[in-house]
Amino acid sequence: MASFIINGESVNVDAHPNTPLLWVVREHLKLTGTKFGCGVGQCGACTVHIDGAATYSCLTPVSTVEGREITTIEGLSGDGSHPLQRSWIAEQVPQCGYCQSGQIMRAADLLANNPQPNREEIIAHMSTNICRCGTYSRIIKAIERAAEEA
Amino acid sequence: MRQDNLSPVVPTTRREFVRGMGVTFAVGATGIIGACSMEPSGENAPAPAGGRNAEITPNAWVSISADDVITIQFGGTEMGQGTMTSLPLVLAEELDADWDRVQVETVTGHDPVYGNPAFGYYGFPILYTAGSQTLRGYFNAMRQAGAQARRFLLDAAAVEWGVPVVELETEPSRVMHPASGRSMSYGQIAAIAEVPETLAEVDESEYKSADEYRYLGKDVARIDVPAKSDGTAKFGIDAQVPGMVYASILRTPVEGEEPLEVNDTAARAVDGVTDIVSLPYGIAVVGDTVEATIWGKNALEVTWSETSRFRNVEQTRELNEYEARARDLNFSTDNPLWQDVGDIDAAFAAADQIIDAGYRTDPAYHAQMEPMNATASVSEDGKSAEIWVSTQTQSLTVMGAADALDTTIDRITVHPMYIGGSFGRRAEFRQKYVDDALFVSREIGKPVKVIWSREDDVKDGCFRPLAAQYLRAALDAEGHVVALQHRVATPNVLRYMNEPRWKVTRGPRRTSGLSMGGAGTTRYDIPNIRAEHLNMDRCSRVAAWRGVAESYTRFALESFIDEIAHMQGADPLAYRIALTRNDPSGRAVLEEVGRMAEWSRAREGSALGVALSEFGRGSVAAGIAEVSVDERTGAIQVHKYWMVIDAGFIVAPRNTEAQMEGNIIFGLSNALKERITISGGSVDQSNFYDYQVMRMNEVPEIQVKALSNNKPPGGVGELGLATTGAAVANAVFAATGARVRELPLLPDRVLAALRA
Repeated sequence: MASFIINGESVNVDAHPNTPLLWVVREHLKLTGTKFGCGVGQCGACTVHIDGAATYSCLTPVSTVEGREITTIEGLSGDGSHPLQRSWIAEQVPQCGYCQSGQIMRAADLLANNPQPNREEIIAHMSTNICRCGTYSRIIKAIERAAEEA
Repeated sequence: MRQDNLSPVVPTTRREFVRGMGVTFAVGATGIIGACSMEPSGENAPAPAGGRNAEITPNAWVSISADDVITIQFGGTEMGQGTMTSLPLVLAEELDADWDRVQVETVTGHDPVYGNPAFGYYGFPILYTAGSQTLRGYFNAMRQAGAQARRFLLDAAAVEWGVPVVELETEPSRVMHPASGRSMSYGQIAAIAEVPETLAEVDESEYKSADEYRYLGKDVARIDVPAKSDGTAKFGIDAQVPGMVYASILRTPVEGEEPLEVNDTAARAVDGVTDIVSLPYGIAVVGDTVEATIWGKNALEVTWSETSRFRNVEQTRELNEYEARARDLNFSTDNPLWQDVGDIDAAFAAADQIIDAGYRTDPAYHAQMEPMNATASVSEDGKSAEIWVSTQTQSLTVMGAADALDTTIDRITVHPMYIGGSFGRRAEFRQKYVDDALFVSREIGKPVKVIWSREDDVKDGCFRPLAAQYLRAALDAEGHVVALQHRVATPNVLRYMNEPRWKVTRGPRRTSGLSMGGAGTTRYDIPNIRAEHLNMDRCSRVAAWRGVAESYTRFALESFIDEIAHMQGADPLAYRIALTRNDPSGRAVLEEVGRMAEWSRAREGSALGVALSEFGRGSVAAGIAEVSVDERTGAIQVHKYWMVIDAGFIVAPRNTEAQMEGNIIFGLSNALKERITISGGSVDQSNFYDYQVMRMNEVPEIQVKALSNNKPPGGVGELGLATTGAAVANAVFAATGARVRELPLLPDRVLAALRA
């Protein structure tokens, strides 16, 4: 049994301690906005926040989040109103969309620590996350827009 | 959390499936207002007072409710290309609908009524989202459906008011009678109108002209973007079906082998593992959780057969064999001709000079972000199934599942989900991830979700095939190219992806664009051309890969054209512009991209290369790369990339630019570093650490431009990708004098060319 807080709610999950947080979030808790991409921390599609920090949920055993606060894309704003979510729409970022939850969670971590990042800082921070459709230039624009409008 | 209604309902009529199972997307000024809402609307509501209908359906594509909601059917699937917005938008334009009150439903299952007219080779059109044919193939059908429904509404209003129909006009979702100042909304008309069994076709001359468009050619937001920005978009992997269990499959390490001995004691001991199911190509571990099935799979001990011919596959040896065949002009295979213009034999016999070169390309992996997966629920008798899956084709998924279960297509229901990238990967007749879920569900009698690991996805990938090409050009005394011979040694991709289709199309077409697209040329003024397919044994599973055959045929052709230009001392861009003297579109994109890149301006430490490509009938692209080369390491850096396309009328300009950027990044990623290698029949790569794709910090500055005009719209999702390999290789030559004839353009290949 693992106990933690996810998107503001306390939950108890009956899962083996070694279970990657990714599968607990997606298949035990049915919060499917967080995506499985590689399972080895290479693509960033599974990015969630643990105590506010962007983390690969695929590499995080659920036993290590006991008592901690998890935020997934579903809990980032609750209603899609986070500045990044609004700028993602304004810049029409997603194509297939599969990586975008992870991209937004990664970008939210950046803006939380560096509200006015320059282009180089954005690129350095975001290069952990793969987008195979090639939406990179719009991701940069959307982060810049969110920083400007925040 | 939003609950998907995934109840197993088998449709009996179109209207039932529309209302019962379609995933509905409502669009509005601020974007989506309800994703995946599956509540019954319109039809089940009572008709309004004084009206006869709650909703009417003038034709198969559109229904209009008394409360002014317009529902449009989408016959494709959405994988990021944007046609889930652009196709309904075309219908809405001709209908003169209020786009803010339109909702879009993706067609569930196979019904030829919704098939793409561009894919009619079975004798009826199929639902198949591939080859950049969606907008092109459906464009007229969407215009007709919209115009027909609008005409019906006008006629009904004319009858209601007792006025001549010619006095009526429309505003978005409203019929106006300016002479009397009266008006009715489409919903008000829907409430009272009587819809005949069939409506007459509207003559094309009555379609709107481009200058009357409210939506087409403007920046209308994509309807799928909001749900893809808040995590609510449902992809195949997100399916949640009541009572479902999970399965992970240990697949054969080499294609064609089978499990001989299985020790599953340790796997069965994993907490949560409930069943082990033997499949012809592997062992499925079934359990209550994903993690239990993964751990169980890892604990299996299997002895595999060792009889497959693929065990003998060593990629470099195979490619050498392909190249030897391509270079041997006496060697041919059955039905090789892709293009045959004029008389090349006579032209080569009379040539003043003959130039030739060979080019090689390695297999490439799709690397789509969503690994293969499927969820299926098979009936107790094993003959009916409901499937939730990311697929490029409702029709082939239905047909393939019916084939797998040895049943009829009416007993298969497919729910197409959002696709987390595909690029050709999910378009086969027999989709193995669907087979997995069907076979396991049939065996255990429960709904099953199968998720491939990324390693499964790579090792069991279906790749762009290995190819070796040999090109020859005959020049006359003035140096003009009078004949071009383009020999492509590569497997028959269509035969592997879809054998039934290969059987029905192999007659007059002889070979397939899936292997040969882009070979030869229709753009350059060369009087004698022969493009030949030398049909090789495949060395791996194969599939269409974004940009399809063009990504290797154009690498070869456009490198070769460059070699000819340099040999003649000609400027490579001017040389191509001269060759497109009879092709205004090709010439226009070359001239424009040259202007954008300031082609003639001298650069310090970098150089430019250009290439022309086409994709889909009528669409053409030109790209220019600016690169520098580290001559110590052989590493290529691409600094800038410019691309100009002519794809006819541009329906969605902003999305088109996004697609162009995507093509450039996908193509450059492949050209610079993506490479699958196969040793002893198994794939050497495993995951994104050893099959690396381009990340944000590697993307060059990109500038794109689409030349919109009034020609019918072509596809843009693959157009221009094929410029990348040759443009970079040509720029490397311009920068260093080294000609790299093997894709990808790896540093050791650049170094070898520098030393040559």
